Amino acid sequence: MHFDHVVIIGTSLLYSVSLLVVAALGLALAFGMMRVVNMAHGELLMLGAYVSITLVHAGLGFWLTVPVAALAVGLLGMAVERLILRRLYGRIWATMLATWGLSLLLVGAVQFFFGTTTEGIANPLGTVKVGDYTVSAYNLVMIGAAVVMIVATYLLFHRTPFGATARAAAALPEMASALGVNVARTNMISFGVAAALAGLGGALLAPVSGVGPSFGQGYIGRAFMTVVVGGASPLLGTTSAAALLGGVNAGVSNLAGPVLGTVALLLVSMLVLRFLPTGLTGLWRRSR
Amino acid sequence: MIRMRPGLTGPLTVGAGALLALTLAPYTAHSVTLWVVYGLLALSFTFVWGHGGIFSLGQAAFFGIGGYAYGVAGINLVPSTGESLSSLLIAALVAAAVAALLGYFVFYGDVGDVYLAVITIATTLVLLTFFASTSDSTYRIGNALLGGYNGMVGIPGLVLPGGQRLTANGVLAVVVLIAGGVAIGIAVLLRRPFGRVLAGIRENEVRTQLLGYEVRARKLGAFVIGGFVAGLAGALYAAWGNFINPQVFSLQQASLVAIWTLVGGRRSIPGAFAGAFAVQALSDYLGGVTEGAVIPAVLGAILLVVVLFLPEGVLHPLRERVLSAVRKGTDLDLGVAESDPDPEAAFGRDATPASRVRTVDVQKRFGGLRVLRGVTLDVAPNEVRTVIGPNGAGKSTFFGLLTGRHRPDAGEILLDGVRLNRLRPEKRARLGLGIKTQVPSIYPELSVAENVWIAAYGAGPDAEKRVAEVLAGLRLTGKAQLPAGALAHGEQQWLEIGMVLVRRPRVVLLDEPTAGMTRAETSRYVELIAVLARSATVLVVEHDMEFVRDLGAPVTMLHEGTVFAEGSIAELRADDRVLDVYLGRAKADA
Repeated sequence: MHFDHVVIIGTSLLYSVSLLVVAALGLALAFGMMRVVNMAHGELLMLGAYVSITLVHAGLGFWLTVPVAALAVGLLGMAVERLILRRLYGRIWATMLATWGLSLLLVGAVQFFFGTTTEGIANPLGTVKVGDYTVSAYNLVMIGAAVVMIVATYLLFHRTPFGATARAAAALPEMASALGVNVARTNMISFGVAAALAGLGGALLAPVSGVGPSFGQGYIGRAFMTVVVGGASPLLGTTSAAALLGGVNAGVSNLAGPVLGTVALLLVSMLVLRFLPTGLTGLWRRSR
Repeated sequence: MIRMRPGLTGPLTVGAGALLALTLAPYTAHSVTLWVVYGLLALSFTFVWGHGGIFSLGQAAFFGIGGYAYGVAGINLVPSTGESLSSLLIAALVAAAVAALLGYFVFYGDVGDVYLAVITIATTLVLLTFFASTSDSTYRIGNALLGGYNGMVGIPGLVLPGGQRLTANGVLAVVVLIAGGVAIGIAVLLRRPFGRVLAGIRENEVRTQLLGYEVRARKLGAFVIGGFVAGLAGALYAAWGNFINPQVFSLQQASLVAIWTLVGGRRSIPGAFAGAFAVQALSDYLGGVTEGAVIPAVLGAILLVVVLFLPEGVLHPLRERVLSAVRKGTDLDLGVAESDPDPEAAFGRDATPASRVRTVDVQKRFGGLRVLRGVTLDVAPNEVRTVIGPNGAGKSTFFGLLTGRHRPDAGEILLDGVRLNRLRPEKRARLGLGIKTQVPSIYPELSVAENVWIAAYGAGPDAEKRVAEVLAGLRLTGKAQLPAGALAHGEQQWLEIGMVLVRRPRVVLLDEPTAGMTRAETSRYVELIAVLARSATVLVVEHDMEFVRDLGAPVTMLHEGTVFAEGSIAELRADDRVLDVYLGRAKADA
């Protein structure tokens, strides 16, 4: 096998992993830190994509639309926390059903304002030549973006005073409150950050998939699997689960087609859960 | 006392529904058929979640699998069999088999409740991706093309044996009979022991396990039944439309299941159908006046409003309000305390040999913390033994090792020589171990009688008779039909003891039994333990020194994870080292 071939296969695997990270990180953060299973996560991705495409149509450059999408969806997330989630903490099924209602509401709203047609954003970059092969430069951007998202989230929640406060407020609200933390506000911001990651992810995914009301559906299943397989730790779990599932999915898809790739993803997920009920996080914790 | 057989209301309603089905206009009958099919799907969720406490969002997945399986079976078999009922059955069984597979991984992997919800919905969505990518004509089973995003077409409709074609009204009548039959079957099942133990698992899984029930197998059973019902609904759906596509696996379709059930009330069997009818009628109406664009938004709003403001559903509370107005005046008498419980009447038995409990050098660490450094204990049959120790001595962990909550890192736990080390709690319970937890662990929403019945049922014949005896001895007969959660704290403690003892255990473990009891109740407890020791070995972990003294039994004192002293309470009281530990002087001297 030639060096260029190896590079191409490696890039394609990494790309497949990075898609999962970009699509799942916001979901993983809300779940791992706040115990919120956000059924509307796919729709937050979708909104990120819609913000991006709307601004691109208005004449803004694509790269500028990405942070705007993150900000807009992040603000929406804060509103959702304030109006819905705050009443339901500790009742898992209630948060799931409520965010599910929100998901339908958002799909309905987008259908109402934008119609059901699917539009595309032109790929903002060309291709890069690797030996005899070419690879889309945007795929490399996606890989980089996944790394940046992981590192930035790590720094925010593990290396800043806000991060320590936020984790405390989510894990032990009474204790944090007794220590003078404004738990309500902190949780609102934390969920806002999770939503912003979804908005960012949606905008980044927009050029590689059509933007329509069912945009979220294309990613939500795999995002959920990544979170479940990853387990409670949003960063370590998501990264390792994305690596495992993305690798298996891309590998099997390359060899045997996308249908078997999906089947392999499902089977590997089930096996992981049978033996590691708390996901890959459990494996890391156990080996320590 | 507890109704085991359903009345005639169900069969009469279903029969009337089937007759009514024949009188509708054919077009209306065609639409209503879909509503009934959706009602059946909602029923599967009502059963699994409302009654089994399993928050499975995978009912849409089993529905879709049932639909596809019916398509494959029908396209291949109906031309030769001339009827489609066998294909319906095959489809429901395929869905049940998939549920069994998924359920095995989930329940036997001891995956938590949240994960279960996420895994079931994720599986549904991955199936969406899977079926959507089968458009290539190589994806076929026999003559049936899976058809990718556009789905499978040419699926045969309902054909009864004999092969005559049914009118739209005929199809509706058959679907009503099938769905009604399933609904009655579920109602019957819920009143049978399986359903009553399932209610126990829903209300308090740990207690049910400690009573010796194999919780995982029972949850799996309920999950598979739910998969069967959803699969049957999916098969009827495919037969109804002669078509199925991957959209049945979509988040929207899955959410409908939750919406129907929530609107109808999550425990109500007729409510499942009423909820599906109400929501679908609204959708059809909206589809007529607005071209359908607002339907998801309206459904989403309904879901949000119900969850935030009406957690008991919309239709069920309405019905309850009407019923309670009718019942007015026949309110349950809450009753006054009849008198103190009588341990002798409730649990007195002839002297029987009990079991020997031994632990040999058991050790347990949590992370870097060595909680038990080696505890060796030997309790003879029919002996009463008290285990004491200051906070942090390892009492609770030791208790957890005996019950099966924790597994030891080293050492042996033996019951009559049988090694318990890695046995699950329900296995230990079946070997004759009875466990009373510190905080009363009962089924608060079930009646007092039902609480004791669940305990008694798993432990031999004559459950009803033993329940009556125990309730009489505990002086709870007058409150037998009240929800257990309505009892006073002391009564709940006694109720749990009744639940443990009605099983006639050979060893009884009591974890701080007198916590929160009055002095008078405590002295009743001393009496109880004396009665118990005639037929069981009793191990009491206790904090209250006065109670330990009243009990007068041999004492084992734990300190820093090992046995620090053993002897009578008088001997321990005379031991300076023991006083040092309790007064905190040991550290100062060292």
